[in-house]
Amino acid sequence: MSNNTNTPPSQTTDCPEIAVPIEIFLVIGFLSLSENLLVVVAVIRSKNLHSRMYCFICNLAVFNTISSLSKTWENIMIVFRDAGHLNSRGASELRIDNVMDTLLCMSFVGSIFSFLAIAADRYITIFHALRYHTLMTMRRTVAILVTIWTLCSVSGFLMIGFFEAAAVKIFFIVVFFTALFFILLLYVHMFLLARYHASRIASMPGNAGHQRKSGLKGALTLTILLGVFVVSWAPFCFHLLIIMVCPENPYCECYRSLFQLHVLLLMSHAVIDPAIYAFRSAELRSTFRKMFFCSDQTVCKFCI
Amino acid sequence: MPRLQPPNSTSSIANNDYEWRYEYYDDEEPVSFEGLKAHRYSIVIGFWVGLAVFVIFMFFVLTLLTKTGAPHPESAEPCEDCVHLTSCVEELGRPREADNTRAGLSRPLLEESRFLFNCYINEEEQAGERSLDRACRAHAQFSSSESSRQVEAGLIVQRNQAETSEDNEAAFLAHFNIPNFVNSELSSTLGDDDLLLGDPPIIMDSCCLNSSFQHWHPLLLHCNRNTGKISLLILICDDKGQIKLI
Repeated sequence: MSNNTNTPPSQTTDCPEIAVPIEIFLVIGFLSLSENLLVVVAVIRSKNLHSRMYCFICNLAVFNTISSLSKTWENIMIVFRDAGHLNSRGASELRIDNVMDTLLCMSFVGSIFSFLAIAADRYITIFHALRYHTLMTMRRTVAILVTIWTLCSVSGFLMIGFFEAAAVKIFFIVVFFTALFFILLLYVHMFLLARYHASRIASMPGNAGHQRKSGLKGALTLTILLGVFVVSWAPFCFHLLIIMVCPENPYCECYRSLFQLHVLLLMSHAVIDPAIYAFRSAELRSTFRKMFFCSDQTVCKFCI
Repeated sequence: MPRLQPPNSTSSIANNDYEWRYEYYDDEEPVSFEGLKAHRYSIVIGFWVGLAVFVIFMFFVLTLLTKTGAPHPESAEPCEDCVHLTSCVEELGRPREADNTRAGLSRPLLEESRFLFNCYINEEEQAGERSLDRACRAHAQFSSSESSRQVEAGLIVQRNQAETSEDNEAAFLAHFNIPNFVNSELSSTLGDDDLLLGDPPIIMDSCCLNSSFQHWHPLLLHCNRNTGKISLLILICDDKGQIKLI
């Protein structure tokens, strides 16, 4: 659809930027914030969930919370700016903008590292099962989390401080692809092991023919896990790639015009994450039930 | 409303500006759309098609793997260090207590409808069984006094075909939901103060609470404290979510 007659005469673009209404951003932001905050609160409050695995899941939820908080805050600032209350070139606004962008970048990088950490934790659980408790002590877990946070804070600052440099975008893209590669590797290896064991058990006498159905379910779960990750993050990373590679190409400009949609995909990933990682655990779900059903009773303080 | 942007930039660029500061757009010439051979959004379409193909291809590869089984059994050796079983863990079918920090082997981990499931271990035929017996006898000596009606669950051993003589019924299929079956109270209650003899076992989530685990049939070892013998227990989690012992 050509909008040439509507655009300013100095700029002819057939691909105007697709603007996502701010209400959608706000809704997704609040949804993601509430879900992830719930997960964090549940993990902190329940003593059953003070284990390594839940540490990593809680860490992911914290990063998602930060990202949705900062994105929502940014959207609210945009609303104020559009209403005329803010000067978009003012010094304090730019500083606040820097802070928000730093938090956003930090949480993006942090989420990717959290996925990697969760996958590695599960891998060690399966392949070094008996040594898990010696390999993954609480101290090491805390050290890993501290490392992740330091790395993400530093890269957040650097990315916003030097955002014009191509190195920043290259760093982000490299982080994404490396994480994707390792996550794919780890999960597929785990899946292969599971199939191997299932087939060995199936070869024992007298078993029922459930192998195929379970295998399909495993494949579906894994596809959903990896597919959601790829579909949410790849468009944004491709956007960064396109900015570096072909800033003037009209085809690339048409891809860049969908920037807000890609950011929306990122935010929706923060909404889907708890459903894929946290809420799959029956323990967490029962903690939620206790939290909500016990909220009125005085006996509640003994519940958790 | 005052115009805050430079006059020759569109509001869309100012929006970009706010998030990513694409200020260089202001200086460059406008992109010309003359003479485009392909459709404007061809890169967008190509990217999404590629992404969809990748996801579907991944799904088909995984499904194919389930149909043909894992290609190389010898490469999928998970737990070389799991060969030696060293401990049994108690607590099955006992209602969970509110305070679950008891010392000793008892870990009131799960409710009545939950049970333990541990990793599949590729065991050497002789060595594994010997270590099992050793572990069982040692456990019989060191275990704390618990009520006799507790069923003890141990590490699950994947037996070779030749060893089925001692099994009761070792013939049920365990179903995995990969990210879920590690998504458990893995180390939730096994602290550093437990009296397990060696590396503590891995505790998996129960099947009965989660409907996706309905057909999960684990194998359990029963370590009889009195005699020091090991026998195989099978617990079934049937479709109603009940646990039955065979």
